[in-house]
Formats: sequence, structure tokens, C-alpha cells
Amino acid sequence: MAELQGLGAELSEAEKAGVEIVAVSPDPNEQSHKMAEGLHLGYRFLADRDLAVSRRYGLVHPRGGPNGEDVPRPATIVLDRDGVVRWVSVSRNFQVRPDPGDVLRAVRSL
Amino acid sequence: MRAAWLAVLSLLLAAGAIAAYVLLIRVPLVRNHPEGYVVAFALALAVAILGVTRGRGRRWPAWIAVGVTGALVLAGGWFNFVIARVPGAAAAVRVGAPAPDFTLPDAGGRPVSLAEFRGKKPVVLVFYRGYW
Repeated sequence: MAELQGLGAELSEAEKAGVEIVAVSPDPNEQSHKMAEGLHLGYRFLADRDLAVSRRYGLVHPRGGPNGEDVPRPATIVLDRDGVVRWVSVSRNFQVRPDPGDVLRAVRSL
Repeated sequence: MRAAWLAVLSLLLAAGAIAAYVLLIRVPLVRNHPEGYVVAFALALAVAILGVTRGRGRRWPAWIAVGVTGALVLAGGWFNFVIARVPGAAAAVRVGAPAPDFTLPDAGGRPVSLAEFRGKKPVVLVFYRGYW
């Protein structure tokens, strides 16, 4: 969540219109929705409750959750207009996320 | 220096480290250096030990500070270096390859496909969970 807040803070209004930020999480949708509204973020929060998409992207950390459940490995992926992957960052420590400046540089270089 | 003052200093340092981490979690420099709170707890422990060994006057507050900050060093270190580690494995997505399409419900329950944005906008996909 903090990562998304940081991204939002660094994006200009024009850039917000020109890029789609899609957050994918197994967290309950109501929780994400409330968070999005509270932050006035124009992001899309998509619910991947069973981790099917995270699994297809190779981003599942087996039994990595606090109760031994599977969780997504935190990752940020930049796609160009054609849907081709241009930049990938996968965290090695779940507290650590890419610097929003690096993500935006990847977006701006497209 | 009085042992009790060193105890207070030690506990303030530890509490300040926790407060700073929680309040500044959005700042990449703070979030991306979680070992910083472990270092701060270790410093707080060192101050408490100084109170026990060199401080004047009542020493029991410094002993309490040693106990509290020692527990924080262990818990913080365990969390940051063991619990929070994510095993490295190759992601199924590679730079230069098309991202697999998917459809998932948005916060309003409406299905959204990645393909909707193709030809229109760059996309930043963020896989996340919880607080960070």
C-alpha cells in the first residue's frame, strides 16, 4: 500500500491520465476499495483472491504468509502500450519495494 | 551520568525508531532500509548497557531498558532478516515478452482485462499484499 501511495505522490495529473496503474492483490476488495477512496487514487484494485494470476506470473511465495498461506511476492512490472514487459522488479524482502522514481523513469522511457 | 537517564534515553531511542518507521513508511529511503530499525534498536541497547555498567544511582530502570531493547533487537532482527525474506525464484515474466493476459474483478466487482489497455496506455502492474 505504501508503495502505491508513493507512486501516486510522484505522478503529475497529466501522467495519471497517461498511465494505468493496476494493483493486483489477494487482500479483500472492500479493504482495497476503502483504501483507494481514502487516498483519492485513480488506480484499479483487482482482487486475485485465489492467486491464480500471481501464479501465472510466477509470483507466488509458497506458505509465505503469517498463517502459512501462499502469498504473492511483491513485484512491480511496467508494460508498454503493446502489453510487452519493459521493466520488472521482484522484492527479496517483503518490506522493500522499488523506488517510485525508478518505476516512473521506466514508464517515461517508453 | 545517572543510570535512570540513560534508561530513559534508551527507551526513547527505541520508541522513536518504531514511530519513525511507521510514520515514514511512504518514504522510499525509510521503507527500503528496514535494517535501519534493527540498528536503532541495537544503539538503544548499547545506551541501556552503558546505564547498567557505568551509570550512577539506581540501576533497575537501566536493567528494564536492557530487557526491552534486547527483546526489540531480537524481534526486529528476526522479522527483518528471517520472516520478511522472500525466496528468489525466476518470475514467469521476462523483459521483452508479452505479459500474460488476465481478467479480475475490480473494487466494484466489474471484470477488468489487461487486454483493455493494449494499444492505449502503458500499464504499471503492482502485485502487493498488506501494508508495505
